[in-house]
Amino acid sequence: MKGTLRAAWIIAKKDIAIEQRTKAVVVSTTLFATLVVILASLSFYLTPALARQIAPGVLWVAIAFSGLLAVGRGWAREREGDAMRALLLAPVPRGAIFLGKLIANTLFLVAVELIVAPLVALFFHIDLLEVGPALLSLLVLGTFGFAAAGTLFGALSVRTGARDLALSVVVFPLVTPALLAAVVATKQLFAGAPLEEMAVWVKILLTFDAFFLVAGLGLFDALMSD
Amino acid sequence: MGAPAAPDFATVSVEGLVKMYGTTRALAGVSATFAAGEVCVVEGPNGSGKSSLLQILAQLAKPTRGTVRYGGLPRAQARRSIALVAHAPLLYPQLSARQNLAFFGELYGLERSASERMLERFELTRLADRPVRTFSRGQLQRVALARALLASPALLLLDEPSTGLDVDATEKLVTIVDAERQRGAIVVCVTHSEDFATRIADRRLRLKRGQVVS
Repeated sequence: MKGTLRAAWIIAKKDIAIEQRTKAVVVSTTLFATLVVILASLSFYLTPALARQIAPGVLWVAIAFSGLLAVGRGWAREREGDAMRALLLAPVPRGAIFLGKLIANTLFLVAVELIVAPLVALFFHIDLLEVGPALLSLLVLGTFGFAAAGTLFGALSVRTGARDLALSVVVFPLVTPALLAAVVATKQLFAGAPLEEMAVWVKILLTFDAFFLVAGLGLFDALMSD
Repeated sequence: MGAPAAPDFATVSVEGLVKMYGTTRALAGVSATFAAGEVCVVEGPNGSGKSSLLQILAQLAKPTRGTVRYGGLPRAQARRSIALVAHAPLLYPQLSARQNLAFFGELYGLERSASERMLERFELTRLADRPVRTFSRGQLQRVALARALLASPALLLLDEPSTGLDVDATEKLVTIVDAERQRGAIVVCVTHSEDFATRIADRRLRLKRGQVVS
């Protein structure tokens, strides 16, 4: 396990180094998510009360679409130069490759959310000081599950040549439970519901995260084999 | 040149290898042995199964039937001592040569000095901090070879390594293959270049329709 974690961190660091050089994932996905938030605020905004009801949907739609973009771009880096073959040749557990990509994808998405969530709060009348810590927890839980499913099935795009369209067809149905749970929990949070009421949705998110983490570690080798 | 390392296994043998892709048979019962200090050129027309054989030797594909033995080493343990150089560089174009070598070196558990030594060996020190996407084909191939030889592999697989290289770069490639033979590595090379094959081959294995014909 220690070897897997060590290799995963080396792979994640490599993705961070590429991102520092190119800024291709975080900048493009942040711009995309920002556009979604601004367009939604222009189209759906009526009153502050109504805005708070719409905000969870806008936030998670922006995260879902930009997340898929980020995951697709993350795997595209392994296709360019056929670097994936060198990675598969390395003497590390194949699950470590999945875990490394997952760590990097989660970090990139959280970076996007640190910009998008305050924008949603600004445009949709959410008091971030009031909901901040709980919202951050929901964002991390929802993002991790989304990234885990996206990273696992995004790997198929490296092997099959199927690109973003195929990724969205496979990933969106799979992440629906996590997205639904995240949206409902966020809606309850913005409506001022007590934390206990959100517990069931948080449990769903935790279960989803654990399921796709274990599935990714276990299935990645089989997905990568001819 | 880099410090020679004792190979982890002295032979690689394949027996009765069959590889099916759906209903297409890429390999139809290939048996062969590859020995340390020997360069074996695998040749044959397109679709004869050369690349499939290399993929299986590299553990990038599993045979449908048949066995691969890396001396007496278990398959997972042998992976550390297998290197592949292909026509594609198998590098991250956005990263510099130094970053690429440091990354793969770290994955192999090597000290940072190992990748610095390879930069010197392949005369890449001056270019080391440029993204490899800006490199010429010859420079890219040198980085690819440096990456492959970082961990002094016992089995070096070459898949069309001379494609697109000019005379000087091909000359350097021949020198490197010769150095690997001297070091005691097992070298298996797939190439369509008769000239290149003639210069490096100790032995030839000819495949046709997934079978060894000579």
